[in-house]
Amino acid sequence: MTDAALSTTTIAPRTDTGEPSVSPWKRALLYALLLAVSFLMLYPLLWMVASSFKPDSEIFTSTGLVPADLTVDAYRRGWSGLSIGFGWMFFNSLVISLLVVIGNLFSCSMAAYAFTRLRFKGRGFWFTLMLGTLMMPQHAVLIPQYVMFLKLGWVNSILPLVVPKFLAIDAFFIFLMVQFFRGIPRELDEAAIMDGCGPLRIFLKVILPLSTPVLATAAVFSFIWTWDDFFAPLIYLNDIEKYTAQLGLRTFVDSTGTSDWGSLFAMSTLTVLPVFILFILFQRLLIEGIATTGMKR
Amino acid sequence: MSTLRTTERPAAGGRFRFGDSLAGYGFLAPWLVGFFLLTLGPAIASFYLSLTDYSGLGAANWVGAENYVRIATDDPRFWTAMNVTFTFVLLSVPLKLIFALAVAVALNRGLAGLSFFRAIFYLPSLVGGSVAVAVLWRQVFAGDGLLNQALNALFGFEGPSWISNPSTSLYTLVLLAVWQFGSSMIIFLAGLRQIPQDMYEAASIDGASKARQFLKITLPLLTPVIFFNAVILTIDAFKAFTSAFVISDGTGGPIDSTLFYTLYLYQEAFTNFRFGYASALAWVLVLIIAFFTAMSFLTARFWVHYDD
Repeated sequence: MTDAALSTTTIAPRTDTGEPSVSPWKRALLYALLLAVSFLMLYPLLWMVASSFKPDSEIFTSTGLVPADLTVDAYRRGWSGLSIGFGWMFFNSLVISLLVVIGNLFSCSMAAYAFTRLRFKGRGFWFTLMLGTLMMPQHAVLIPQYVMFLKLGWVNSILPLVVPKFLAIDAFFIFLMVQFFRGIPRELDEAAIMDGCGPLRIFLKVILPLSTPVLATAAVFSFIWTWDDFFAPLIYLNDIEKYTAQLGLRTFVDSTGTSDWGSLFAMSTLTVLPVFILFILFQRLLIEGIATTGMKR
Repeated sequence: MSTLRTTERPAAGGRFRFGDSLAGYGFLAPWLVGFFLLTLGPAIASFYLSLTDYSGLGAANWVGAENYVRIATDDPRFWTAMNVTFTFVLLSVPLKLIFALAVAVALNRGLAGLSFFRAIFYLPSLVGGSVAVAVLWRQVFAGDGLLNQALNALFGFEGPSWISNPSTSLYTLVLLAVWQFGSSMIIFLAGLRQIPQDMYEAASIDGASKARQFLKITLPLLTPVIFFNAVILTIDAFKAFTSAFVISDGTGGPIDSTLFYTLYLYQEAFTNFRFGYASALAWVLVLIIAFFTAMSFLTARFWVHYDD
């Protein structure tokens, strides 16, 4: 529709009462407004990054984006600001996030394949239940899950954060993949059946290779949401050596109070950096993923 | 896994479909295990726990409806949390919807650079829930923070500490939520593209003004998307946690002014270890969310316009 709307501005308006869909003046005004709003929205983030390169004295005196005195001192202080270096916590976050990506791709694609391609008794019933879990807030199951992991001796390990993902607990990704798998022509399955393929081979050789866009979307969202997750690590990880970057950052806030904003901003910038890089690389996938499923975070 | 291989079997209609419960349940196995062990089982267990005084250690003594009675009649912090949460939901959801829709409509005018603006407006949604942004918010709205520096430089106005003032602290969190309107905006943009362009052309031939076109075409045809966004945003707003936790050091302060329901639930469960009572709180939240969701679906047929 963008193209359609563009073309209507180049042809003369067809009514005497109406105006061209956007007049040049209005268009310029709209641009100015959008630029101003987007700049205002991004300003705090830009300022955070800029301030992480400023000496501490400058943070509270300068609202500008260009440091008068560029220094990486804050990064040096922040990186070793806790008893365990931030590097270790980044490593923990990375391990957990990657395992969650693998778990989600594995278990959710299997469930989505069963729901869309295999005919079995009770399929509709389970599908309805799966959709029901999409709406259900996690709080309903939080405490018994915690007690269960406690009894299993899993608290203070990454297992409660990772193992559920291998059991397709993120119904959202099943839903996303179901939507995509439905668009793959059934003729391909049928041709494979003619060639003597069973469900497993069809899944591995037909469905999965054709599903790279949705698998990539699920992988990127899984990674970002796990990387940013605060609640689950907060309740399940106790020892500082096991902390994720988010948990480390929060502990850092507690230990420095508001005395060292420079190093807080430096470490904040670093924790946002992976998300930002993924955003730059996979912007289209992320935005299309949001648009097609209508899901938000 | 080779046992999953099945034989094909002609289905009604003459086409080949294989239907083998073994394969179906084989592929569904991880989800089924997860559903019973991590969803259904815990949901039942949490209702049971809500009727006990379980503390994580020792036995869970049956107390009947006592937890629920106490929530309703003898827990001022519960009502504080309800008040804070409802204020947050009722302010942030409509504001987010309005911003998201306004920006989507503006971007949908065939501007060049659509994807640039779309990306910029979406970025806060992607990073907004992180600890880093909560840390940033703490500084921006502190007494000597960015906002007050800017106010001082521009207008010579000495602002208070917005974060540590109980009458403004919640609004900084509302602002943080509204700042993240981008993902709803993307859904609106996708919805706007579904509206056939010729409807606008027909309307402008009939002499309908832009405003009238928006009210009579865009808005009605967009109601399914508005509905969807409203439901999702409401559920999400009830579940908000991280920003309030980080900004208030986990207390919900100052003076409980940012005591989100989830924060109160967290404190009862994981700092006071009142698992029984917290389970009851959790079920009350689940019921509130279920009520809102059900109400939106029930009222939907009066205002949501679906194509025949």
